[in-house]
Amino acid sequence: MNEQQTETIGPATLMSTWMKTATAFWEQTLRQWPGAPDMSGAWPSGTPSKKGATGRPQETLASALKTWQSLSELMSEPSMIESQVNGIGALPEIILKMVKSGAERYLHLQHEWVRRVGKIGERTKAYEFENLDQELFKAWSEIYDQEFRQLLNMPQLGLTRFYQERMNRATDEFSRFQTTMAEFMHVLFLPMDKSFNIIQEKLLQMAEEGTLPENPKDYYQMWIKILEGHYMTLFKSSEYIQVLQRTIDRHSDFLTAKQALMEDFCQMLPVPTHKEMDELYKELYHLKKKIKMLEKKMESVQNGKIP
Amino acid sequence: MAQPKIPVNLIMSKLAEDAEKAGTRAQKATDVLLGELDTQISATPHEIVYQEDRIKLKYYRPPGRVRIKTPLLLVYALINRETMLDLQPARSVVQNFMNEGIDFYMIDWGYPTRKDKFLTIDDHVNGYMDNVIDFIRAKHNLEKINLMGICMGGTFSVIYSALHPEKVKNLVTTVTPTNFDTDQGLLHIWMKDLDVDRMIDAHGNMPGDLLNFGFLLLNPAQLMINKYVGFLENMDNHKFVENFIRMEKWIFDSPDVPGETFRQFTKDCYQKNLLIQSKLMVGGRRVELKKITMPLLNYYGKYDHLVPPEACELLTGKVGSKDTTDICLDTGHIGIYVSSKCQKEFAPKIARWLKERDGEMKKDKRKKPSSGKPAGAKTKTAAAKAKTKTTSVKKKP
Repeated sequence: MNEQQTETIGPATLMSTWMKTATAFWEQTLRQWPGAPDMSGAWPSGTPSKKGATGRPQETLASALKTWQSLSELMSEPSMIESQVNGIGALPEIILKMVKSGAERYLHLQHEWVRRVGKIGERTKAYEFENLDQELFKAWSEIYDQEFRQLLNMPQLGLTRFYQERMNRATDEFSRFQTTMAEFMHVLFLPMDKSFNIIQEKLLQMAEEGTLPENPKDYYQMWIKILEGHYMTLFKSSEYIQVLQRTIDRHSDFLTAKQALMEDFCQMLPVPTHKEMDELYKELYHLKKKIKMLEKKMESVQNGKIP
Repeated sequence: MAQPKIPVNLIMSKLAEDAEKAGTRAQKATDVLLGELDTQISATPHEIVYQEDRIKLKYYRPPGRVRIKTPLLLVYALINRETMLDLQPARSVVQNFMNEGIDFYMIDWGYPTRKDKFLTIDDHVNGYMDNVIDFIRAKHNLEKINLMGICMGGTFSVIYSALHPEKVKNLVTTVTPTNFDTDQGLLHIWMKDLDVDRMIDAHGNMPGDLLNFGFLLLNPAQLMINKYVGFLENMDNHKFVENFIRMEKWIFDSPDVPGETFRQFTKDCYQKNLLIQSKLMVGGRRVELKKITMPLLNYYGKYDHLVPPEACELLTGKVGSKDTTDICLDTGHIGIYVSSKCQKEFAPKIARWLKERDGEMKKDKRKKPSSGKPAGAKTKTAAAKAKTKTTSVKKKP
């Protein structure tokens, strides 16, 4: 293959060749269909009226073919081909920008993680749980809210918009619940962490004083008492209560979103949904209450308590 | 030669000894755990004499003659099950009551399902409880019966007694929360800010497992670690294992709580503290504690982490009764019913208190409950009603 040939087989040539081949293919295919228009949209002689019911698909086809031919001619022009080639050339740059944006966020998260993970439990003193180090979870929540959540909360369009919204909401609530749950578990583990530190310090002190217990069980008893004390302090702290409430709330929100999504699936199956059953139960509840009340009234009347 | 600061040799030899013991224990434990174990709870024979929806009424006939004329109805909480009162033969409040000659009924609230989510406190108190009490009154041809409540069941009993005082002869409340404005118990602190609407809207009923998880979180070091370390240390002991499993069966047998009841209990009691202020509305009626005019015996535990003393002790001062007694035991929420120490005096004391007020003694001749009165009891009788502050003597363990 010589240099000249190499130059001609570039993206422009390929594009033009592909357009021509595609047009020829459809032209050949359509010729097999009696009464079909040619690629210019012209009808063969003896074709029934275009206004008739049987002519409607043919009419649509003719219109589509005409558009295709115009488009392919336009696209085959050298200036258009050049534009397309430039577009294709710019693709890596666009992808790079997208990846860069995502990578920056990821690096930010990783940076936060590395910066803070070593500090977990360091910020608070023994038996103190104020200013808990929850920055890591805050950082992740911020990134999630800014980058992912917005995508899930984007308004949906079209016939399936409500279904898609419920799907997105369930995904969103699940992610939020998982983040809060991770934070809750982290807080719940803090007393463990602290109690291990304290017992080490205590043992060191006892070793220096020569008062270390001989029975290994005593070490366990010492640790469990320290752990219990830490938990009691933690559980009364406003920080813990906030995390607890947040976790419960997120769990409730996730359940509600999941339920709404499940209702959509249930509607496709021959089973009643929770919503339908709840309506039924409510009616049943009120009916039973009324009947019981009437029964009591009747008994009272029969017993002569009510005239 | 000076003693080493770290007795490594002693620690190591003790460790080796423990390891050897653990090996032997594990070997024996295999036989125990794979062998026959009697872990049945609520084994005392009883009849189901009344049933309505999911509710059952259990009746326990005393083995000998009935020594207390008026039958006693026990109302347990909607959280966990009444089987706690009959965990094992030697530690059974039920059997102790029967041995005291009490005609004894107990409500089994059953397992609420989704269809029960609309049931309110009104449905439980003015519905089920009232129907059960009417049934017992009719069966025994009595105007009034004795009523005893445990924990939330005690709160229900207080509400019932205020709304239907004409049907209750004597009221016994045990570990019953009535004052919810306290920071003593973690539960009271946590419930203050709970978004109960969001929770119940999502769950329908309050899941029992979620409640149980909350209870475990009250003291994870003891309830999730130390308890099972204790089990490992005793798992070669047949009796210990049986009793441990019985307790596990009871603890994790947690019915869901009907959603609307939980919602109202949390909002009106834990968050607004309406009951002790006589502002609680149930079934369109105000629960006025002054209408509780029957004798009242109020038991609670000094170390109760779920319903601390502060949540229980205000009740006797708020009711209209001239005959009230507070008894604070040196134990926790469950210890009152299951600890062998409390078993010896809990049911006999209640039986004595009921006998003294069962219409056999004339009012003016009524003895102060000093006979057999445990230390730690604060008593306000008709004579002592004149707003005198009774001194509390702490009960010895």
